[in-house]
Amino acid sequence: MNTLTRTIAAATMLAGGLLASTAYATDLRVTVWVSAKEQLDMLNGFAAGFKKTHPDVNVTFESIPAANYTQKLTLEIAGGNTPDLGWIMEDSAPTFEQAGVLMDLAPTLKNTPDYDFADFSAPAMGLWQNNGKVYAIPFSTSPFLIYYNKTLFDQARVEDPEQLAAKGEWTMDKFREVAKAIKDATGVYGFEFKDGQGYESRVMHAIMPPIRAYGGDAWVNGQCGLDTDQAVAAMTVLHDMVFKDKSIVPPGDQSDFFAGAAAMTINQISRVPTLKTANFKWGLAPLPTGPAGAAPIIGQAAIAVFASGKNAQIAADFAAYMTNKQNVATMAKFFPPARKSVLADKAFLTSNPAISAAQMQYVADGIANGKVLPSNVKSPQILAAMAPKIDAFWKADADPKQAMQAVCSVVKPLL
Amino acid sequence: MAGWLFASPILLGFLIFFVGPLIAVAIYSLEDWNLLTQQATFIGLSNYTNALTANPDFWLVIRNSLVFSAGLVPLNMALALVLALALSRKSFGSVFFRTLFFAPVVTSAVAWAIVWRFLLQGDGGVVNQMLALVGIHGPNWLRDPNWAMVVVIVTRVIKMVGLNMILYIAALQSISDEYAEAARLDGANGWQIFWQITWPLLAPTTLVILVITTIGSFKVFDHIYLMTNGGPENGTLVLAFYIYQQAFKFFATGYASALAMIMFVLVLVLTLIQLALRRKGAL
Repeated sequence: MNTLTRTIAAATMLAGGLLASTAYATDLRVTVWVSAKEQLDMLNGFAAGFKKTHPDVNVTFESIPAANYTQKLTLEIAGGNTPDLGWIMEDSAPTFEQAGVLMDLAPTLKNTPDYDFADFSAPAMGLWQNNGKVYAIPFSTSPFLIYYNKTLFDQARVEDPEQLAAKGEWTMDKFREVAKAIKDATGVYGFEFKDGQGYESRVMHAIMPPIRAYGGDAWVNGQCGLDTDQAVAAMTVLHDMVFKDKSIVPPGDQSDFFAGAAAMTINQISRVPTLKTANFKWGLAPLPTGPAGAAPIIGQAAIAVFASGKNAQIAADFAAYMTNKQNVATMAKFFPPARKSVLADKAFLTSNPAISAAQMQYVADGIANGKVLPSNVKSPQILAAMAPKIDAFWKADADPKQAMQAVCSVVKPLL
Repeated sequence: MAGWLFASPILLGFLIFFVGPLIAVAIYSLEDWNLLTQQATFIGLSNYTNALTANPDFWLVIRNSLVFSAGLVPLNMALALVLALALSRKSFGSVFFRTLFFAPVVTSAVAWAIVWRFLLQGDGGVVNQMLALVGIHGPNWLRDPNWAMVVVIVTRVIKMVGLNMILYIAALQSISDEYAEAARLDGANGWQIFWQITWPLLAPTTLVILVITTIGSFKVFDHIYLMTNGGPENGTLVLAFYIYQQAFKFFATGYASALAMIMFVLVLVLTLIQLALRRKGAL
């Protein structure tokens, strides 16, 4: 063998070795939505943890804002740039499941040692499994809570929602009363819908809590429930609060709770980091109860693996890792768990230093008794069809009963 | 051959980014194509017949688009011409005001919309506070179906009028002063000079502005998306926004493609009418 041949042979081996090592390195891309840097840091921690057992796997998280999340994810899929994993929000769960783009995770979870799939509570899994197939694993099962501005409540000399809840007096009537009392005493709005988007992209977050507290629901068994007596009674309260009491931030107005321009709002505990810079004292309380008792409402997000990805199995392994007992416990301070064992552990109640154990108990109670927001295969169409009718409801002279009948008239054909 | 080679970069770009997608959209419009599931079936002209006969929203959307154009185009052009006439002479003040009126054109559409949404709030918005000073109780501009379209048109005109103003100023400055001087010697007044000399000489520019403003008005999307999201009560649901909604909210890509073809034909017809009017000397 002459020198030249040997050099070529060596070069070939070297190149082969390089190729082999690049072929081993696997990049997984996960689309998520996070509202604070702490949450992204936590997720990156999981990527680092997974690297210990899978040294050749790099996981990167890509945050997409919530308002356009589903649409952008869909475009990535349609454009052939499918992420390996992605968060799926509860309202679009049926759409993605039926489209057949999600991988069945059941075999992977069954084969993962110590995973204990039975630990996930059955109601929390409701949206995500069908006929023994698991399409996604909920990592956030987060009840909605009332955020309140303690400074404003003190200023108006009104008992705050936590004090009222402790006495069992935190009802829809009381909610309306304190909202008006604060508006009258301080001039600041009593309540703001979720992120101020209750009249637009967050309609369901605005109307479902009172509707369920009054014993109604959006749609059940193909029937529209938005014009039932219960739903209309709840909507009438909201309408009166906006237009008579003027205690809810009205349509088009941009007064924001987190800026101190509304005394209460509704959100999940993942938003607590936003309050780090707040210049007021704040607290968390459960949703007010209604004639139908307590009706906690849960917003859910789950992690799914896209079937078309070329590293789908490794992605599924990462999904299993991210939702194992230990990591679910780590996430619990921002994303409340669907695992019964984590929920039962006392450590959950003190997992977030910014949230008191009593407040975390509201979260635990909400998960135990709450119902997930409504969803449907045609959610985008239903919400778009509802939008103009809901706009008509939010006029000072609208008749709530008639307006809600108009809503149902466009929802019903889509169910 | 060398000529083709020199032209090839722009030609290639035109073929790949304009002709290609146009043909693709025409083909997609004959399919029932779900963006999410990636399933496409050929359904002939069903998307078109569905839009034209079965879908009541479609005609509402066409009506809204026509109202938007009918409001925006004349207002934009008239204002642009008035501003250009006032600011075409070089002076310190005119340079300042030209910059002022042109600034919104280069302002980010998002920033523009967010600031206007803030100014136009129902209670406590700056616009209504100023109206209150003169005893007028302003409406909740962007949430009132009767006012939202007006507000969307006016804020769009303020944003874009600077561009047409610059085109008119350029045209005015290319008209020799000698015409007006001669007319003045013959005893013409300012009004006569404008209608008999300036306006006819501006005609080619007017036509260009009319065509691009009309096309632009049909394509309006970002402004609607950011200001009203098509609401309230579908009052500002215009064609380009409706296409977006069908394609990227409902994933009905085939149907959206058919709507895009309809928009293409609509704009083409309007442009041809304008060109024909020009040839007849009506413009």
